[in-house]
Amino acid sequence: MAVEIYSLQDKKEIDDNAIIVEHLSKRFRIPHERKTTVYQHIAGLFHGGSYSYEEFAALQDISFTVKHGETFGIIGPNGSGKSTLLKILAGVLYPDSGRVQVNGKIAPFLELGVGFQPDLTAKENIYLYGAIMGLTRKEIARKYEEILEFAELKRFESMKLKNFSSGMAVRLAFSTAIQTDPDILLVDEVLAVGDEAFQRKCTGKIDEIRRDGKTILFVSHALESVRELCKQSILLKDGKMVSSGATPNVIENYLKLIV
Amino acid sequence: MWLIKYRDLIWNLTLTDLKIKYQNSVLGFAWSLLNPLLMMLVLYAVFINIFRFNQENFALYLLVGLIVWRFFAIGTSTAMGSIVGRPGLVTKIYIPRQILVLSTTLSCFISSILEFFVLIPLIIIFGVKISPGILFFPIVHGIYFFIVYGVSLILASLFVYYRDLNQIWDVVIQLGFFLSPIVYPFSVIPARYISYYILNPMTVLVETYRNFLIYGSLPGLRSVLYLILVGVILILVGTGIFHRLERRFAEMI
Repeated sequence: MAVEIYSLQDKKEIDDNAIIVEHLSKRFRIPHERKTTVYQHIAGLFHGGSYSYEEFAALQDISFTVKHGETFGIIGPNGSGKSTLLKILAGVLYPDSGRVQVNGKIAPFLELGVGFQPDLTAKENIYLYGAIMGLTRKEIARKYEEILEFAELKRFESMKLKNFSSGMAVRLAFSTAIQTDPDILLVDEVLAVGDEAFQRKCTGKIDEIRRDGKTILFVSHALESVRELCKQSILLKDGKMVSSGATPNVIENYLKLIV
Repeated sequence: MWLIKYRDLIWNLTLTDLKIKYQNSVLGFAWSLLNPLLMMLVLYAVFINIFRFNQENFALYLLVGLIVWRFFAIGTSTAMGSIVGRPGLVTKIYIPRQILVLSTTLSCFISSILEFFVLIPLIIIFGVKISPGILFFPIVHGIYFFIVYGVSLILASLFVYYRDLNQIWDVVIQLGFFLSPIVYPFSVIPARYISYYILNPMTVLVETYRNFLIYGSLPGLRSVLYLILVGVILILVGTGIFHRLERRFAEMI
């Protein structure tokens, strides 16, 4: 039987590694001539042109481990593969080779408010989004008041989401998503949400989660917050891991890279 | 098992689908009932006056045929877009993607059940006695659900790669509509084609529903076994294709 490259397990007391990544590679296929219809595929057969594509190596031979309770930083210039890496860890993208093991319940904050329905009320959206983030109906019902309170949207509970401002919608999303009680949190620069006051509240909440001993994987361009939050980091460039270890060193390497 | 682990999400997405479908129109849910009724009126007028079929209870015959067919036509066409239509749920978070197809098929399934509920008073109005055969409805409709779900799994995963599949499927649906005894009686099919004609699972389905709803007979054992076989094959093939194609969904959307 083929060994699964990606495996997700429950958190066990004995293992102290939350995430193990070994020799991970991911290539994207970029067809020379992208065929997305049956017609183009059939027409292609008659032209005798074989399926040709370029391969783009989004990640090459990445290895690192993250311990439980650690806040781990991933930095790098645009297009270096940070988001691809997070998506692989989240199980959205499937890696080509290597091994990825995630021990614990994972909550990807790649984008807030995934699956929000503008035609439903705030209340209905909390239940929907909560379910998408892996909460059961009972859990949402128990945390419902807390979610609305944190979002400061109690008054708008039965208003349709399409009448919300974008800031309000994101507040609702963050407050719901944060209730998932994960072992591992993947954060992709989504914390720049809402106004100054709400941002501070979010950072506070993330900090609280961190002190609770949860694992956080943090992708950011804000080097100062990475330095402040993460003890260990890796630096990606063009899909390769060019530096890893203690955050101050990694950041120093990054700064050398961009000047 | 994902079905149990994600049952709250499946149910939530199904309800969301139904809510959105019905709240955006003025008559809301009434449309889904009015629509087959009006269609039946049109077809009834045409077929009674032009073709003059001699079929007992032709109005009911048409209506049952239409309601049965609608679940297949609407279910498969809607569920085909269930992956492509929700890119966020595919590329930004991991949930088993079959859930998207399943919840869409379920919401169409529930709409279909509601349509059948409205049919029952009509059967009585037309003076047909409800026979105990109606107790077979849950079983037959359950099997039908698996047939539609199986086809939807195949379509939804292929649609990610072939974006003109919906155009092709529209034509297939139209063809299937006339290759199944929906608007004409079974008896118009020439005898030499019958053995091929009854291989069409939709023919078997439509006739089975009519038998226990209008003509007071029980579904034939062979028909039911055939439908179960078709359902099992479609689910297996559908799941197989879906799993093969699923890995690159997030890249292709």
